[in-house]
Amino acid sequence: MTTTTVLYQDQESRSEAARSSDDGLWVPLSELKAVSGWELKPEGVCKDEVCVPVPDTRRRALIRDEEFSLTEFAGLIEQPVAHDENTKVWYFGPPAWAWKSRLASRVAPDFVLPDLSGQVHALSELKDKKVFLLFWASW
Amino acid sequence: MVTIACDAKGSAAVEPFITAAGQQHPSLLDEKLRVAELYDVRNVPSIFWIDESGRMVRANDPVYALRRNRETGESTINEEYLNAVRDWVANGAQSAFLMDEGRLGSRLPDLEFDDVAAAASFQLGTYLALHDHAADALVHFKRAQALRPENWTYKRQSWNLGDIERDYGTTFQEALKDPASGPFYPPLDLVENSAG
Repeated sequence: MTTTTVLYQDQESRSEAARSSDDGLWVPLSELKAVSGWELKPEGVCKDEVCVPVPDTRRRALIRDEEFSLTEFAGLIEQPVAHDENTKVWYFGPPAWAWKSRLASRVAPDFVLPDLSGQVHALSELKDKKVFLLFWASW
Repeated sequence: MVTIACDAKGSAAVEPFITAAGQQHPSLLDEKLRVAELYDVRNVPSIFWIDESGRMVRANDPVYALRRNRETGESTINEEYLNAVRDWVANGAQSAFLMDEGRLGSRLPDLEFDDVAAAASFQLGTYLALHDHAADALVHFKRAQALRPENWTYKRQSWNLGDIERDYGTTFQEALKDPASGPFYPPLDLVENSAG
């Protein structure tokens, strides 16, 4: 039994039942929500308020024998995927609606990050103030 | 003022700098470079000005606080930039140093699929490098670099997690000359049509 690691943006999970190959990644429907946050509902593949309808023409490529193809779904929602078959680690980036025109409104995206003491800070806490935001690195 | 350290090696790598600077503002840590990705930061340092309504009015400025005189080796405060910051603080939306839509667009171009594909490869490479799979990570770092050669953040962070000569067959000086990479920093252009 091999273990597959799925990095669904910030969510990291491991599965013994997932089938990973260069052709794609299939997870049991029973693990879909734990791995990706998505659930199969009558109206489509849903997470929070978003539901992605599944066209009949793609249904069989997406769902087969109680398994769900995360890679096929990634293609449907224009989500970038990176995969290392040697270590069986998969990374899934943001879907199209999260990255297309992300900065077009020129609104600074909110974020939450820790300082060195572990205390978290959000950009939104500084609303109504000017913010001078500087990215740096030790490298 | 908020600073964000983009460093996969985490607090061990950045703490000495933060301690030495004795900063009073929030000094945050972005170990996965996820916020850097969100802001399309292609090299560091990179500075954004965000107004009271949360909109970016300058984006991705490559500025150091100190300027080094190449001949004398002497470092002095970058007064020209500091004056621009003071002007923005005093004059807000009336400041002459805000970027118009065209210049914001050149600093924050619309993303294409290859941009997010490169980010995904970089994220996977970083995960592997930090989980004792340095050799496996290389394939993905090289893919990110090939997809977006102009992104110096990917290059510099992945070199830092490995060895530029052994793993990438180049040196920093050689990489600077690679025409595919484009400029190390965009021109500052403090005001329109200025050479910065």
